[in-house]
Amino acid sequence: MSIVLSAVQYLGYVLIFPGFLFCFLAGLLLCGIDRKMVAKMQKRVGPPVLQPFYDFFKLCGKETIVPAAASSKTVFLMAPLVGLAALVVLQLFIPIFQFTAFSGMADIIVILYLLLIPALATILGGAASGSPYAGVGLSREMVTIISCELPLVLILLAVGKVVGSASGTGLTFSFSAIMAYQAEHGSLILKASMIPAAVAMLMVIPGETGNHPFDAAEAETEICEGLLAEYSGPPLGVYKLSHAIKMLTLTSLFVALFLGGIGSGIEKLVLLCGLSGAAAGAVTVILGAIVLFLLCVVLTVVCISFAHAVTARLKIEQIFKFYWTAVSGLALISLVLAWYGL
Amino acid sequence: MFKKLIAESTAKSPWLFHINAGSCNGCDIELVSVLTPRYDAERLGFKLAGSPRHADIVVVTGPVTTQSLPRVLRAISQVPEPRCIVTMGSCPQSGNVFRGSYSVAGPLSKYVHVDVDVAGCAPKPEAVIDGLALATKILKEKREAK
Repeated sequence: MSIVLSAVQYLGYVLIFPGFLFCFLAGLLLCGIDRKMVAKMQKRVGPPVLQPFYDFFKLCGKETIVPAAASSKTVFLMAPLVGLAALVVLQLFIPIFQFTAFSGMADIIVILYLLLIPALATILGGAASGSPYAGVGLSREMVTIISCELPLVLILLAVGKVVGSASGTGLTFSFSAIMAYQAEHGSLILKASMIPAAVAMLMVIPGETGNHPFDAAEAETEICEGLLAEYSGPPLGVYKLSHAIKMLTLTSLFVALFLGGIGSGIEKLVLLCGLSGAAAGAVTVILGAIVLFLLCVVLTVVCISFAHAVTARLKIEQIFKFYWTAVSGLALISLVLAWYGL
Repeated sequence: MFKKLIAESTAKSPWLFHINAGSCNGCDIELVSVLTPRYDAERLGFKLAGSPRHADIVVVTGPVTTQSLPRVLRAISQVPEPRCIVTMGSCPQSGNVFRGSYSVAGPLSKYVHVDVDVAGCAPKPEAVIDGLALATKILKEKREAK
């Protein structure tokens, strides 16, 4: 009986709460808020906040065309789904303050690998489409991945070092240790040595999601949307959905790494209200999810919408140079400071 | 219910693909002005798509020269159904001042079914938005008829 119950519970995790349904709603809403904010910053009225939902459902109703030049129909059509699945799994592993759907099963290294899969899926799908535009987009996407990966690894190392040296293990990659540290000592962003890493992480987010000004791989005005040039209908919709979820995933990763201390505040608030037991747990999780989403909105506006509104698209070598000098430099400063125990 | 949702969304999220079929560039500039802060067609969900495969509405400008005709037809055939074809300016509709020229193959309606014509040389942005809004209604009808 308990096996059935826990199976239902895990199915609920995967399909509903930190899993698919939550990602779908929160991701697309986040994308809509981003588009609205960009419009406001450009003194436009902008699309309705629900516009990404309309876009997604419209694409579901369109014809799917598989180009005659496609080398593999299966890869072409399955690649978007693989990318989406990887992102939903990723969201399951990122803690919502103290709550994790699958606790103790994954650490930061798994997050790094899972973050690569959606990008690799777009590359595979684009390569299978046989379009020369996708070929150009593919090489640019690879460079973008390599650019973002180094600063991201450095940031995670810096965080791991701070948390690890506090607990005496040296270097930790465990999410539960990071959350426990922040619940005890307050959010990591409050530490002086972590501020450069947090700033670097803010710069990594638009690069990882492929937003302006780092969208050379999907430049619609010069290479016809690059990797997505041949996609139409539902597969394109799934790519758009993945892009929206990626914004949610990366901003919630930022919250988990640097703002995790807010979780203990929520717990205290729930205790103050006089709740206890299972009810307190449920309320904490729901409040946590709401606070997480609001923080994600703020982060999206700061690092995605604002960057979109004020910058023009960078060339691919400029993206590479920016990430491997400025952003990696910031992350490295944090790592060195963390190593000296600051 | 799901079908209705898709039909509603189709009317609210029309993506444009713009084809220049030998236009003098006047209409092209006017089409871009529709997306500027002053007129902001993104309010209605309009977005310029980079690839014909992403588009719902094809906007054709220019008198359709003999050189551009096969390319125009090929690009239009790459747009997934349901799709709408909107001609912008007098040129693709009648040939305008280029009518009768040895190098003009138009009007476009001789070759494909045109859903909306927006006349003018160049049409005002208000007229363009009006024509595109009409096209979204036709798109919705096409989707519902499916």
